[in-house]
Amino acid sequence: MTPEEEDLLIEQVAGAWRPGTDDELRYHKAWHDLDAAARVRAFARARALRPIEAAVDPDGLSTTARAVLARIRR
Amino acid sequence: MDLDVHLDAIVSGDTLAFGRWLAGTEGTVRDSLRSFAAVVDVEAVLQEAMLRVWQVAPRFVADGRPHGLLRLAIRIGRNLAVSELRKTRARPVEAADLEAALADEEPPQAVPDPMLRRAIAECRDKLPAKPREAFDARLASAGGKDDDDLAQAIGMRLNTFLQNFTRARKLLADCLKKRGVSVDAELGS
Repeated sequence: MTPEEEDLLIEQVAGAWRPGTDDELRYHKAWHDLDAAARVRAFARARALRPIEAAVDPDGLSTTARAVLARIRR
Repeated sequence: MDLDVHLDAIVSGDTLAFGRWLAGTEGTVRDSLRSFAAVVDVEAVLQEAMLRVWQVAPRFVADGRPHGLLRLAIRIGRNLAVSELRKTRARPVEAADLEAALADEEPPQAVPDPMLRRAIAECRDKLPAKPREAFDARLASAGGKDDDDLAQAIGMRLNTFLQNFTRARKLLADCLKKRGVSVDAELGS
């Protein structure tokens, strides 16, 4: 995998989308293709992105918070 | 402010109150899972932990100390992460890291101030069309659609979508830095 390909996988894993199930914890499929260092980068990237998302959201919610609320309201 | 002020409303089923609690606690709970980042999908664990907080909140009994629900969320997240470790038989994290994650005095992260919010909004408005489209698609989907679907919806290939999102992220970081806003290094990497 090239660094560019790996970075695109990190970008996906840093997003808030996760496969939708109501009763099971499901990983992003791209997470499994990352090595430990890249997983930590995905964590760091998500951590950096969420406050930005919350700052432009009218209710101050990140995509993680909205994803959780969507599961509650489902 | 003690975020348990939202507890009564949360127990009564008020999802807006739970949203306000989430906005104040998400960062702290995420950070408490940092030591697991190499071995579990923290985003998945975090979302599941927050969902379980909502589910058990009606049975939550405050112990008189502040941020009780936050401490519960950290504990649930840690337990979920440990459970995942056991499933995958990955090397466990150091016990000291777990204890640090459960520290009672974990302060909630501050909500961005209005000036910072305005700076971020203005920088977002300056994004070129395609990166902005990718960035906005992620925001609008609110974690509800994967990047394949988002890319398709705006007529991009997946890699093009991700490259545009990456560009948006880096441009935002550059713009904020020029305005003197301190940003996480990973935002612009």
